[in-house]
Amino acid sequence: MSTHSIEETTAPTQQPVEAKGSALHGVLIGLIPLGLLAGVVLLAVIATAIARELTVSGGFYAQQEAALITLIIGLVLAVVVFAIACWRVLHLVGLWQKAGAAVQAAATLWALGFTALVIISPILLALLLPQHPAP
Amino acid sequence: MLTQTPSTSTPAPVEDKSSRKGRIWRRVVAALLALSVLLLVGYTGVSFYIATQLQVGKRPPIYATPASLGLQYKDVTFPSRYDNLQIKGWFIPGILPNGQLTSQRTILLVHGIDNNRADPSAGLLNLSSDLAHHGFAVLAFDLRGNGESPAAPRSFGLYEQRDVLGAVDFLHSGALPYPELGRTHAIAAWGDSLGGATVIFAAANEPAIKAVVSDSSYADVLPRIERGVPAAGVPAMFTPGGLVVAQWLYGVDYYNIKPASVIASIAPRPILLIHGADDNKNHRTTPPADMYLLAAAALGAQNANVQTWMVPGATHIQAYHVEGQVYVDRIVAFYTAALGPDTSGS
Repeated sequence: MSTHSIEETTAPTQQPVEAKGSALHGVLIGLIPLGLLAGVVLLAVIATAIARELTVSGGFYAQQEAALITLIIGLVLAVVVFAIACWRVLHLVGLWQKAGAAVQAAATLWALGFTALVIISPILLALLLPQHPAP
Repeated sequence: MLTQTPSTSTPAPVEDKSSRKGRIWRRVVAALLALSVLLLVGYTGVSFYIATQLQVGKRPPIYATPASLGLQYKDVTFPSRYDNLQIKGWFIPGILPNGQLTSQRTILLVHGIDNNRADPSAGLLNLSSDLAHHGFAVLAFDLRGNGESPAAPRSFGLYEQRDVLGAVDFLHSGALPYPELGRTHAIAAWGDSLGGATVIFAAANEPAIKAVVSDSSYADVLPRIERGVPAAGVPAMFTPGGLVVAQWLYGVDYYNIKPASVIASIAPRPILLIHGADDNKNHRTTPPADMYLLAAAALGAQNANVQTWMVPGATHIQAYHVEGQVYVDRIVAFYTAALGPDTSGS
């Protein structure tokens, strides 16, 4: 990535197009943690549904235990995967900044900021969405 | 060394400034990410608490049997439709004026939330006795997750209707509790609160249920939950999360439990909707307006047959206690008109 960005500075006529490409690439890299988080949460929800179905014969309490354990493990795993992905992307951003690939690094940071907003959006929605008041 | 120092140290401040700025931005973004994840983890934790609390109900003991009122009865067990949970109940034969027992017309009696087939707060044993003495057999049973029936996710009627449908199957083809009385010819249902919603769901799917009395039912369970969570001391903002987690854990879609959306399917079979005018004074039960919402939805069918009765002075599921014999006379007349007279004694 850094090599590509360094080449940008030696080819001034290509700079706007390549800067745009770098920014897009930076955004995509920055969205990887969010994609991984969504993917692992989705897998956790599917695994929970499967665990629930597999334990039907064991009764409600067995079903509840299996579903709770599966979902909690899945969500913890999602947070761990997300944290590792964020750390690696931020590390990459540091390398780009040192190499002078400022556009790409800034795009990635913006994408990570957007990720933080997406993660907090369920709470914001829960605060803002109207609910039924006591009559 | 000394001659090289100026040439290498000149660009250093610029580089340092830029890298310091970059490092600050990285730390700001990392802090935002950490904060958002921490908040979401906390929110999800409370949501898990709400989701599990929605499922855990009280199981008060069955305080008495029909024998305490001098009634004959048999303990029965039958499988729920589709998922074969073993539902526990009582079959109480009807008593004709000449003292003869009958099972020609049977009323399915369905209790409310966190209760059982004997529910003293609603007077179910006494109501069973009143119906039996008017010639109606009664099949009173514990919904899943209640009384002596097996534990199950609480779904506010969505899954509980399978128990009512299982009761219909039992009356049609199960072992006869009183073989000498033969099979039931006509089935109707009575339910209060959760039971009222459950009988609406069941009757909408089962034409063998010829008439429905729904006392204190909600039109849509979501407003009730959204009022109930803050009333239990948990901020309202956690309700949506709790409902989403409950759906993930138990497969129950609380956003789609709306008796009002299915009640029109019961037509042309008659429906009697009863509600206490003083219901929901504690903001935890069901507002009287829900009866009108249900009635309006039921009247959406062209051939609808809907009666409503708002009982003054009655709180949640207290209409029978408030009106007493008037309540009994009204539902007996309703069932008799819908099911016809008992002919076994003639």
